[in-house]
Order: sequence, then C-alpha cells, then structure tokens
Amino acid sequence: MAQNSAYNPALSGNPQSATGRAYPNGNPDLGYNPSGVRNTDSAVPLHRDKPVLHDYASDGPAPGALGFRWTYGSNVAAKNRDPRVQVVQYNEDTFVLRQNVCVHWEAPFTYLLFGNKGALLIDTGATAAANHYPLRETVDAIIARLAKARGRSKVPLTVALTSGEDIAQNQGLVQFAGREDTTIVPKPLEAMKHFYGVGGTWPSGSGKIDLGDRVIEVIPTPGTHRDGVTFYDPYCDFLFTGDLLFPGKINIGNDRDFIASLERLQAFAANRPVKWVLGGHVEMMFVPGKYYPRFATYKPYERVLEMTPDLIGEALKYAQEVQGKDMMLIRPDFALFNGVSPDQRTQVWPEGVPNINPPRPF
Amino acid sequence: MDRRTFLSYNAAAAAIPLTGAALTSLSEAASAAVRLAPIDFKSNVPAAGSFPKRWICGSSCCMDNTDPPVQVHWYNPHTAILRQNKAYSYEAPFAPLYFGNDRVLLLDEGFVQLRNDWDLRGVVDQCINEWCQRNGRDPASLELLVAFSHLHADHYAATNQFADRPNTRYMGLTHEEMVGFWGMTNFPEERVTLDLGGREILIWGSPGHVVSEFAYYDSYTQILYTGDMFYRGRCYISFWQPWFDSMKRLIDFCDTHPVTHVMGCHVEISKDGQDYAYGMTWQPDEAPVEMTVQQLREAFAHAQTITKPGIYFTGTVFLCNQTRGTTTIDKNAYRYS
Repeated sequence: MAQNSAYNPALSGNPQSATGRAYPNGNPDLGYNPSGVRNTDSAVPLHRDKPVLHDYASDGPAPGALGFRWTYGSNVAAKNRDPRVQVVQYNEDTFVLRQNVCVHWEAPFTYLLFGNKGALLIDTGATAAANHYPLRETVDAIIARLAKARGRSKVPLTVALTSGEDIAQNQGLVQFAGREDTTIVPKPLEAMKHFYGVGGTWPSGSGKIDLGDRVIEVIPTPGTHRDGVTFYDPYCDFLFTGDLLFPGKINIGNDRDFIASLERLQAFAANRPVKWVLGGHVEMMFVPGKYYPRFATYKPYERVLEMTPDLIGEALKYAQEVQGKDMMLIRPDFALFNGVSPDQRTQVWPEGVPNINPPRPF
Repeated sequence: MDRRTFLSYNAAAAAIPLTGAALTSLSEAASAAVRLAPIDFKSNVPAAGSFPKRWICGSSCCMDNTDPPVQVHWYNPHTAILRQNKAYSYEAPFAPLYFGNDRVLLLDEGFVQLRNDWDLRGVVDQCINEWCQRNGRDPASLELLVAFSHLHADHYAATNQFADRPNTRYMGLTHEEMVGFWGMTNFPEERVTLDLGGREILIWGSPGHVVSEFAYYDSYTQILYTGDMFYRGRCYISFWQPWFDSMKRLIDFCDTHPVTHVMGCHVEISKDGQDYAYGMTWQPDEAPVEMTVQQLREAFAHAQTITKPGIYFTGTVFLCNQTRGTTTIDKNAYRYS
C-alpha cells in the first residue's frame, strides 16, 4: 500500500516543505546528528552570550543516579577489553570514575565535582602509567566538554586525596604534574594540614575547598591512614570517605583514631543532610558479609558502591568492639580488620545475618 | 586389562592388531613409526636439561599483558614444562609433560576450564606434534595420559578439554579414581612404576596438603615433582602428621635414588625470600621453581622442630601448618601508633 494514501501530512495539519518531499519517517539526508542536538545540557540555555552559572542551591540532595553497573573485570584478566576508566555521570556536575579491575585489582573510585568556578578531583587511582590508566586524559576530556557547554574559558582544577599515603589512590597524581590551572593538595601530612588550614586543630576542625557556589568541606578522618580526610559535598549530600568507610575490607591503621574519626563523622552527619557515603573501593559481594579476596581481577557479584549514612553508626559500634583486639569482624556491608593480616580469615559469622554462598566464577 | 598391567602395558604395540579396512593405512603409519629405533631413556641419565632464567610471571597491568597464556619450556628434547601466565590466573601452576616411546604424561594443567579462555589442549597437542616431528613419530600412535598431582581445581580444571581427544586417558576426580588410575592398593606407601615406553615414572602417595596427592619421579631427568605438598612458596599443610610422613618418604627416596631437582607446582616467593601474597598477578622477581635435595632436607629438618600450628620459614619455603583457614603472612602496611 502506498504511504501517501494512508498519510498526507498537509491534510493532517502537519505542513512540510512545499518544495521538498514528505518524510513521515525522517529525512535520511539530514544525518543522524545535526548540529545543535549534541551536548544537550538542561542547565545550559540555548542561546548564551556569557558563561552559564549553575544554581547549586537545592531543597534536599541534588537529583542524580548511578545508573550503570560497574565494570567488574574478567575471568581471564589478560583478555579484558573494558574501558580502562569507567565514567558514570551522577548528575550534570558530578562524575564518578572507576579504574578497571584488570588494570589494578584495587579498582578505586575517583570523583570529579564541578562548581561555578572550578572542579575538584577526589583521589587519583592506583596506576601511575597513563597508557595503562589514562585518568588525566579522561578528566581533561570531561572538563573540556563541560567548559564548552557552560561557555567557560577556564576551569581551575584542584586534585585532592582522601589519603596521601595510600598507594591505591595516589598513584595517578603524577599525571597531573605541570597541568595548567591545577592545584595539587600536597601529599605530606604537615603540608596537607597547612593547605586545608587545620594545622593547629587536626584532627578536629575542618577545611574548605570552594568550587564556586559549591563549597566542599574537608574533615580530618585519620584511622585507616594517618593522613586520612573525608570530603563533604553539600550539593549532592555525599560524604567521600575513601578508605575510612567503604563496602569492603577496612584495614584499621589505628583503632583509637578510627573510632574518633567515625564519632566525628557521625556528629557531622547529624548536623548536615547526608544522602550517601561513597568510599574508595567496593570489595563486598551482593550477599551480606561476603567479600572478594585481595588481588581478585573478576568480581561479577559486587555490592553497590553507595552506603547509607546509618552505616557510620554501625561501623562505629563494631569498631568499638574490635578496639584493642587483634581480630577481624564481619558485618553485612563491610568487614573490619584490626591488627591482623589483610588476608586474615575467621570462622565467626555474625549472628542474624543470612549466610549465603554466592556463585563461584567457575 | 587391569590397572596393574596398564602401568607397564605397551600402548603402541597394541595398536598394530587393529586391521579394519578403514584403519589399515593408519595402523601402517603407526607401525611404521614404531619400527623406528626407540629412544633410549635408560642410559646416560640423568638427562641434561635446563630451566629458564626467568618465567613469564604476569604484569603490573593485567589487561596489557601480551605474553602467551602459557609458557612452554623444553627442559630437554623429551621433556617440556608448561607454566601458566599469571595474568591468566594468579595460581599460575607448572605442568610437566614427559615423553616416552609409547606414551606422553601430562602432569597437572593450568587453572583454566574453557578452551576459549585459553587453549591448553591445543598447546599440548602442538607440543606432541612438535616432538613427533622431531623424532619421526605419528602423533596418533602416542597415548596421552592426563594426570594431576592432587585434587585441587587449579590442577585438574582443564581435564574436560581432553575429553574428546582420541587415544587419551585422564584421571578421575575422586580419591578412589586417582589411586585406581595408578593401580595402587596401598596408598600412600606403595610405590608404582609407570612405563611411558622406555621411560619410567615412579609414583607414590604424598598426602598432607590434601588427602589425594602423589609425588612423581622421572627416572630420565631425575626430577622429583612434589606437587603442592612441597613447593617454592606457601606449603599449606592441612594435615600435619600425614604431611610429615610424606616428607619422610621423600627424604627416604632421596637417600636411595639420585635426584637432580625437586620441583613443585607454584612459585609464590621472590628471590630474596619475600612472600608474594595469595592472589597476586605479578611476580617480577620470583624465585626459580626448581629446588635442590639439600633444600628439601633443610625443610624436613626444620619441620622436625615444629610442634604447633603456625607459619614457619625454612629458608626455602613457608610451612603453613594448619593455618589456611585463619591467618596469612602479609601485614597491613598502614598501621601506625
């Protein structure tokens, strides 16, 4: 049946070009990506003549979603062909990056936050070599795209670490050496304290990183690392805790500091809205209390990254239980290792938690 | 044919009576191959051979590893040693391949199951073809025995790759089948002799790491293959007394037989005695796989002083006495006070 007999655009009140053909199914000559439809960003007005300012004030946490599954390595690590850096956009101003498990088993998460005046990169991954782990290239691309969309010629970048000594998070830092418009928070503990202005008050007190209408708070949280800090983002209401609290095997460096930091974090969370606690790694599986061993390059049954803030209280409670003892303790969403090998095992299973055996890789 | 006769049974000679019309040419080729002068595995022993200076041992970034999935090293023209690439599995076991006039013995496999993960079967077939080409044999005339040192998946997982291979026997995955495969009735004390066609392999039980484990001694290269009960790394001893008795049997054997090398299934230690933690996929400075009889004796001497569970370093290996389920060597590098 001829289409024209069924559908006449002019008769249907859908006038098309008088000279051209009617294209009820779209004009193939126009190409698939005409200019103007790419790089859509609802924060950006269509015709702009000056840099776009984003309004970071919002009732409750800014909307956003971690809408993708994390890449999880492969059974044969050498044959993995996933992206080396997985980029997931939480919302227009917040990005979560993950290192491929087959580039480094720690598979750390790295966060990139934007404000009206600058950007903040929290942590830098576990691999220094840019050809294996092109973090700088990826971050540059995200920044360039955002700068273009917002009509900004410069986006100063601050690179900060949840712990300067943690080789699972500080290795990518060298890729940013010499980058233009970039401030790197110094790694040595004293210099870092001085940078945040908490030299005299450490570990109480707090510092700030102003990204332009989005002021990130810096809370000293030693415990797993002597130079650990936590970042609070008041826009998304996230706490970025690094190695202090994450869904995995938490190796306590000093139990007194660890408890004090969790207490400070809990007090902090009581005064601010906190939607999620986002750590630096995922090691737990999606069944409670089970985790992947160190060096695993295939983690198909990972727990999700995000933790609810009530887990701060739970971590605190059980941290007090292991204080002063060389032991490990399993909880549904994390495991605490105090004074024992990171490969320690235990026969003790937490009461009331279903003991489910997840499927084995093969 | 029972298992006793199987051990010394000449597989190639038995192929000659097959005279179906379709098989005539094949059996002619096979018998032609057999008519070649057999290789002498009995004189001039131990046969000279060498281990590589450095094995393929993974890489810092696994997905950028371009080495082959398995390294094939010819120890000498009649002995190949396979070793899995660490970027393909952290277990990276070693697997000797012994050639005789009638049979080929594959001891252990890589930690791989599917042929499309990586093709162990293809690698073994290629080794056999190469050897046959060098020695003017017909690969079809050689029987392949797929056996393993003990009942752990990193040593038997690839068995299914050989399920459809003609002229192949493989070991079953139960203790009874394993012991029965070698025709043993008095495990672990009994020592049996497998004839590969002029090349004799001595086999006896060495439980301790697990119950079902064997030690293999090749009378041609005089390599003593000790599986996972004694290797250059963490010897996880599940059952102390059986392990100690097995060590005693190894020492007694070394007292009465010439042994050139003692070889285990894995390497988990660096040249300077640093432990590579369980699961690591890169061992840039790893120790050689072969050990001396002296090192075995030292370890046994050290073991005689051990009375309690725990981890003990003998200078060559870590003896992890009944600690598998509780603790390990590595420490948290970020502890502070």
